[in-house]
Amino acid sequence: MGEEKKKIIEMRDIVKRFYIGTPNELEVLCGIDLDVYEGEFLAIVGASGSGKSTLMNIIGSLDRATEGSYILDGIDVSKAKDEELSGIRNKKIGFVFQTYNLIAKTNAIKNVEMPLMYGGVAQKQRNQRAKELLELVGMGDRIHHLPEELSGGQKQRVAIARAMANDPAIILADEPTGALDSKTGRIVMDLFHKLHEEQGKTIVLITHSPELAEECQRIITIKDGLIVGEREGGAAV
Amino acid sequence: MMLMENLRLALSSIKSNKMRSLLTMLGIIIGIASVIAIMTVGNSLSAELTESMSSLGAKDLNISVVNRPVDIETDDLFGDVVYVYDEDVEYKRPTDDDYFTTEILEEYSNAFPDDVVAISVNEQVGNGETKQDNKHANLSVIGGNYGFLFSQRFKLLQGRYFTDGEMSEASKVCIVSDIVVENMFDGDMDKAIGSAINVAVNGKEYTFYITGVYEYEQDTFAFTNSDKRKDINTIVYIPIRTAKAITHSSSVYQYFSVILSMESDVDAMTENTRKFFNDGYYAYNEDFCVDVYSMAGMMESLNEMMGTLTLGISVIAGIALLVGGIGVMNIMMVSITERTREIGTRKALGATNASIRAQFIIEAIVICIIGGIIGMALGIGLGMILTKVVGTPAKASLSSVLISIGFSTAIGVFFGYYPANKAAKLDPIVALRYE
Repeated sequence: MGEEKKKIIEMRDIVKRFYIGTPNELEVLCGIDLDVYEGEFLAIVGASGSGKSTLMNIIGSLDRATEGSYILDGIDVSKAKDEELSGIRNKKIGFVFQTYNLIAKTNAIKNVEMPLMYGGVAQKQRNQRAKELLELVGMGDRIHHLPEELSGGQKQRVAIARAMANDPAIILADEPTGALDSKTGRIVMDLFHKLHEEQGKTIVLITHSPELAEECQRIITIKDGLIVGEREGGAAV
Repeated sequence: MMLMENLRLALSSIKSNKMRSLLTMLGIIIGIASVIAIMTVGNSLSAELTESMSSLGAKDLNISVVNRPVDIETDDLFGDVVYVYDEDVEYKRPTDDDYFTTEILEEYSNAFPDDVVAISVNEQVGNGETKQDNKHANLSVIGGNYGFLFSQRFKLLQGRYFTDGEMSEASKVCIVSDIVVENMFDGDMDKAIGSAINVAVNGKEYTFYITGVYEYEQDTFAFTNSDKRKDINTIVYIPIRTAKAITHSSSVYQYFSVILSMESDVDAMTENTRKFFNDGYYAYNEDFCVDVYSMAGMMESLNEMMGTLTLGISVIAGIALLVGGIGVMNIMMVSITERTREIGTRKALGATNASIRAQFIIEAIVICIIGGIIGMALGIGLGMILTKVVGTPAKASLSSVLISIGFSTAIGVFFGYYPANKAAKLDPIVALRYE
């Protein structure tokens, strides 16, 4: 990494404790320093209970760190209020969940439009943008299908299109292939590579699978709330 | 923009749970329907009361000779003066000396020239019938003076009232109803006028010449004496003196009515009349005095009671509405628990607490308004049917419709707020992990 790249995520000494002030007080993250650069494809791996989900929640602005500072795309998230966090999640982060989490009884295009709706984009533009995105993920012919009419792989592709809706600073994917068979999982991973290479998206992939992590540029391993390893992956430039 | 989106969401959520939504709405539907139906019936009855009040002559004073009471009380309910009697005492029956004479009535009439329009006295002869060939009509014969005929407020269709001569000479003349004409003269009024009818009453037969025909009107509160129009017993009016002659009674009256002028104050005149007689002619009569009453006060109180009753039943219907609202709240709680993951996802996608709250409040409002509209339609229908049965058909008032729509919206907001707020305050992490 010769030239200076823009930092999308800058975490310093992040500590997260639960049950503060009770005898059960639990320190899940014990001081994490993490930098993610623009256009990077990063994997965070760790066994369950390692604190990787907590770290993901903090990266995704779903939760605030107990201590430490977190700057996301120039915004100090650690000091943001609830309403501001909503805005940050809406504009800066695109979530992809293991269980897809499409809104039931709402068709593909309306699902993709949802972040745009909460972002205050007018109906016409959001319809246009959602169509483009569904075509990008190869779901252009199923825009009016309901989630229950789609296969797992198709649902995940709609979810990825939804994550892209507001052109976020990072895509945060939590075990995106965890519920898929290896073939459809491959299609989904190829889609992430495509978004990374063609659109230059910054992607943070959280997984416990070493093979998937190997596909990324950089792999960070978490254990007991600390970063214990950092190495280049197979896709490293 | 968000509003439309929320409405769409609410409708699709209701559609996807049709049965549950309908059951939830049921409380609202029943509540609104009963409120509207009751208000409609109440309005109809009040209108009817007011109408019959004027036709019955609520402003008329009824004055009668009664036994002197042991005490005089004021009735709590109607605010009327009530004469109290001792149940164990056997009271005297009045004699002719105790009754009103024509002279007394005239004097009374002259004492209040601005208030008294007419004095009405009558003499009931009795129920009877008239027969001719195979024709037949039921009737009852009542003799009256001009004031009485006036107080009956009937509409003369053909012919004329009695002349002064007929009145004073006790002529055998009468005014009959159109029903009698239909039965006896095939409805030919021209033929009826001037014709004689033979009336059998109290075992004797009398002949009267018809001078006029009035239009029979069904008394709204009286029981119909027959289902068939031709069998209805109608009144045959004859001059008072003619009636007195038939009943062999002296020309004194135990009671009479006073028709007051429009400007006259009924309550004041009731009091004045009482004083006029009791402080005058009857001041030294040990056994008898005069009682005065009017329908006006009673009607007023009756109307008030109707209003209170309507309000009372409406409150009960309102409780049904309240229970309905609690049902909505309950279902909203269930719905929110079921959709916890959706709420978490929406929050992850950038929904603020306010927009989640709005989504669920609007859903509750939509349920309530749909229920309200269905209830309104049912209530209007039910009100129409009920008022048809009870009395004058009436339509639901605009105010009751507006109140019910406003009420159901308010219920939606009130009972939707708590669940919606609970949804809004969900922690997105917990919500996303919810199974």
